[in-house]
Amino acid sequence: MTEQFEPRIVGFLCNWCSYAGADLAGTSKLKIPSSLTPIRVMCSSRIDPVLILTALLQGADGVLIAGCHPGDCHYNEGNYYARRRFAVLKKVVDSLGLESDRLCLSWVSASEGQRFAEVVNEFNEKIKKMGQNPMKKKML
Amino acid sequence: MNKSAETSEKKGAVLPIKTSIQDSIKDLLKNGIDHCVFDAVMIPLRVPAGDSFSYVLIKNKSLLNDAFPLPPTMSVQGAKAVSSVTRLGNRNMKIAAVMRPCEIRATIELTKLDQTDLENIILISMDCPGTMPILDMVNEPEKTMTLFNDATKSWDDTQMRPVCQICDKSSMVAGDLHIGTLGTDKKSFFIIPNSTKGKDILEKLKLPLTDSIDSWNKKVKENSEKKLKKRQEVHSDLKNKIGDLTNLLDIFSQCINCHNCMRVCPICSCRLCYFDSNKVKHSSEEYLQRAKDKGSIRILPDTTLFHMGRMMHMSLSCVSCGSCEDACPMSIPVAQIFSMVADETQRLFDYVAGRCLEEPLPLRTYKEDELHEVEDVHG
Ligand code: SF4
Ligand code: SF4
Ligand code: FES
Repeated sequence: MTEQFEPRIVGFLCNWCSYAGADLAGTSKLKIPSSLTPIRVMCSSRIDPVLILTALLQGADGVLIAGCHPGDCHYNEGNYYARRRFAVLKKVVDSLGLESDRLCLSWVSASEGQRFAEVVNEFNEKIKKMGQNPMKKKML
Repeated sequence: MNKSAETSEKKGAVLPIKTSIQDSIKDLLKNGIDHCVFDAVMIPLRVPAGDSFSYVLIKNKSLLNDAFPLPPTMSVQGAKAVSSVTRLGNRNMKIAAVMRPCEIRATIELTKLDQTDLENIILISMDCPGTMPILDMVNEPEKTMTLFNDATKSWDDTQMRPVCQICDKSSMVAGDLHIGTLGTDKKSFFIIPNSTKGKDILEKLKLPLTDSIDSWNKKVKENSEKKLKKRQEVHSDLKNKIGDLTNLLDIFSQCINCHNCMRVCPICSCRLCYFDSNKVKHSSEEYLQRAKDKGSIRILPDTTLFHMGRMMHMSLSCVSCGSCEDACPMSIPVAQIFSMVADETQRLFDYVAGRCLEEPLPLRTYKEDELHEVEDVHG
């Protein structure tokens, strides 16, 4: 990689916490990498893992799923289900020898603007080290 | 169907084999109809052309003569048959459904998915020596019949489908009654009840549970340990063979997107599969955009997404029955790949598809304190 690699990261952010956390990070003028494309969802449990797979197979370098902290889900238990599905997804990806490190599940509350910025920055750095998603240029 | 009911404490009835095990099972079923413990039997029948089998619902016991409790090949997965008869409810008819263990396990998964009504169903399984490739029967019916007949005696699985050769659950008792042929003197067989329903039936048929099934247990354990070892070897070979993106794409690049594998899968029971829906139909602009992004785009697209999506949606309930592989016109080892992935996803939750009705589907339940290893470590 000669040029500086700028990842593309898709972020599925829960409306009630992480999306608000992202907002807060923004209004607090914290630095958030431009690599993140946020998608607002009503709860971390509303994301069918197939959508995460779709992003990955289409070449997203990383996919971030962020929801409310366990116990704080607006719908009480959505994030617990989301965590199970995420575990299955990671296992499917792993068992086929693909890079499950490109997937990240994190909990960020509405008041954690700082944390949101850190989570995204860290993930972004990790993805930068991993380099481009090899699926980007593959016919699938 | 009780997980806690230890098989080792269980007793069974021993019955003599008169002419063949298949005939003895049929006698037992006739006896059941005579004693009104069930009104009908769902059982495979050889089709008139002789080159395949089909499940039929038999009320007239003389028709049972032509039935094959254990046919060499699996045409429609039994769980699909049970579901198609009982999905809308089944109040009036007690049906004994005679199937392989993997078909019963799929039936149990379908029940958890609200696709059957088991109230009046009696699930009867038997020790399964494996299933032969579905086309063997079409191509060489008589030879297949003979080979299979021999295999039921020798328990040699070399003619069986690859996924059967690595099946460690070929004697798993998950239904109401199980017919055990392993660990016997070949002149008799066991009937092992696995539920109150099963016990009641044996009582009504005046088959006392006096005999220890230790010899069966022992043989089953031996057999499944051997198979499990082979399963792990085959899966790890397969995993090495897939190993990375290029190899994975190579394997699925032969796929012709017919979706047969999904359509015959007993677990895939959604009325409209996501992968048949408009969600995966794209406009020409989208095709062009993707072609631009990726350099080119395969048409039809999303083949890998289909397979991985299906693994995501159903591998927790996959019973490794092999129907998908039988149905694949391109000879892609679908069932071997799915069984490998399924073992891994099911292990996450210490879940075994179809082991017992009371175990909830892993994605329909959760623990508050679990799986922290998949959470982002930050903070
Ligand atoms: S049956 Fe075979 S060819 Fe058809 S969709 Fe499934 S894997 Fe592809
Ligand atoms: S994926 Fe294949 S092996 Fe698994 S349950 Fe479905 S048809 Fe059977
Ligand atoms: S509402 Fe935020 S994770 Fe459920």
